Amino acid sequence: MKLTTLLATTAIAMALAGPAYAEMKIGILAPTTGSEATYGQDMANAVNLAISEINAAGGVLGEQLSSVIGDDGCDPQQAVNAASKLASSDVVGVVGGYCSGATVPTLKIFGDASIPFVITGANSTKLIPANPGNAFMINSTGNDQVAKAIEYFNSVGAKSLAIVNQGDAYSQDLADLTKKDWEAAGNTVPAFEVANKGEQDYSAIVTAIRSANPDAVFWTAYYADGGLLIRQLRQAGYQGTIAVGDGSNSPELFGIAGSAAEGVIGFSNPIAEFLPGAKDFIADYTAANGSPPGPYAPLAYDGMHLLATAIEAAGSTDPAAINAALMDADYPGIAGQITFTPENTLARSNFVVLKGNGGKWGLAQ
Amino acid sequence: MSVFDIFLQQLVNGLVLGSFYALVALGYTMIYGVVKLLNFAHGDVYMVGGFVGFLVLSVVAPMVGPGWTGVAVSMVVAMIAVGFLGVVIQRVAYQPMLNAPRLSILITALAVSLVLQNGVLTLTHGQYQPMGADLGFGGVNLGLLFISYNQMILVGTAAALMIALELFVSRTQYGRAMRAISIDKDMCRLMGINVTAVIAVTFFIGSALAAAAGTMAGAYYGSVWYFMGFLIGIKAFTAAVIGGIGSIPGAMLGGLILGLLESFGTQIPGIGSEWKDVFSFAVLILVLVLKPTGLLGKSEQERM
Repeated sequence: MKLTTLLATTAIAMALAGPAYAEMKIGILAPTTGSEATYGQDMANAVNLAISEINAAGGVLGEQLSSVIGDDGCDPQQAVNAASKLASSDVVGVVGGYCSGATVPTLKIFGDASIPFVITGANSTKLIPANPGNAFMINSTGNDQVAKAIEYFNSVGAKSLAIVNQGDAYSQDLADLTKKDWEAAGNTVPAFEVANKGEQDYSAIVTAIRSANPDAVFWTAYYADGGLLIRQLRQAGYQGTIAVGDGSNSPELFGIAGSAAEGVIGFSNPIAEFLPGAKDFIADYTAANGSPPGPYAPLAYDGMHLLATAIEAAGSTDPAAINAALMDADYPGIAGQITFTPENTLARSNFVVLKGNGGKWGLAQ
Repeated sequence: MSVFDIFLQQLVNGLVLGSFYALVALGYTMIYGVVKLLNFAHGDVYMVGGFVGFLVLSVVAPMVGPGWTGVAVSMVVAMIAVGFLGVVIQRVAYQPMLNAPRLSILITALAVSLVLQNGVLTLTHGQYQPMGADLGFGGVNLGLLFISYNQMILVGTAAALMIALELFVSRTQYGRAMRAISIDKDMCRLMGINVTAVIAVTFFIGSALAAAAGTMAGAYYGSVWYFMGFLIGIKAFTAAVIGGIGSIPGAMLGGLILGLLESFGTQIPGIGSEWKDVFSFAVLILVLVLKPTGLLGKSEQERM
């Protein structure tokens, strides 16, 4: 008896709550604390900037947007909690996803809850088979990065390459793919190392690399630990090329590695200051947040606008209709045109090559 | 590099790493000696030491420069400040629990660890703080073997601190009292030794050593962050157990052994860096099984 009363009350409450919505909620999944907090904060700021622009222009389907942050902390377990929190907050869609390892377990949660998810940062190829169909990746995937990296290493005449990863979904995926394609092209990988996350001392790995003496070293994980490795490699006298993947393209790398990061090569998704169409975005972002946008801000900003455009095109907040609209999207973002492959990944490669110069990144090519 | 060069280089790496482990392990072992408490907050005390060093360095660097002089000043200030923090932690969290069951005080220690970690997480928003030290890249090249001046200063400083500690424990009245308390606290009290004061001094010294390690690690590796104490806390505990918990020379030896094991563990063919920690902790299990008192630990009554 009590149970039926409870159910009836809940049903009435839900029925009342439905039409009472004055606002449409958007979830932001990003690591706003933890080792990758810099990126996460940038992403959240960029999504909120896009939301305020959309609201100023009249909102979506006549409703104003508001955001709810789910802090995944770049940790798979915390990400599951964050995604569950967003799913139970009645969000119509989620934008974000930075660390691939933390994003993978959220795919099932958003899939089960039928919430469209625009992934703006995470780009491990491991996300593709785990995608239930409602997630859309607007950053180029690991495959595109590997192609760019190998193209660069060939261009500087490197024959042997040391690869260091951290054993997580993103960095291991990038390391494995690079090793496979690099060796398939007839080159060698004399050192393939794994560094533990949170370790400060890389001297043992540095010695292993120096004894293998490769033409180049490729760090495939994130900037905070990458900065430590670069510093220790240079301190130990390693003279070859050091390159880092897109997880290490933060300007913070130069704070941690100091002068050792001069000349370091970074493969990166589009960074705002090098995008021709991002002038207004940089000005607005800086005005709103007091600091210029970080490397993942343009994609997060594009992701939010893309989602809003898709909801508008769908004409309702029905997840299936939004998914269909995203699938057919042909959206001109500040980071470039967004169209999707049948696997829901970005249909083009957006990687650029950067070089550390004077304590910050510049374009290498 | 020849195999011999690699061996020597990993020896140097192991010594540097082992110095950090030993400094932190000393705090574990000293505190265990006097209050029989595994102070799991000790790794976080190291982390707070790193942050205090970072703050002091940012103040003194414009005056004395960001080199070793600035780091030395920061280290001394961090040691004093964090030493007092250790005493406060002991007074607030552990003193009321001294006669409670062991498990209760162990859980209190875990709580202190979480308080420190999350406190710093909140204050710093989880960001890495570049230390701002500029120690240069100089060093001595012996063939392919490279030893940086920084590594020499680090190992030298750690050795000096450990010698000072050894002298303190063996030659001073407080040191004698510490050794006596580790044998029989109640008897010491009856003999008129101010046990509470000696425990406070022990926490001060243990925490100060951790702070010295934290500041040096921040300066040497380049940055500090809220989680930097977790792994080293576990490793230092391991070092203390390998050496024999409660034994001061044991902690020094255990730290160096663990540092060397990790460096050489990376080099074993077919194992490599991925299995480094598995290798180190397997040695811990072996020591616990074969010699539960550790390498230099003696029977329960004679520790410290």
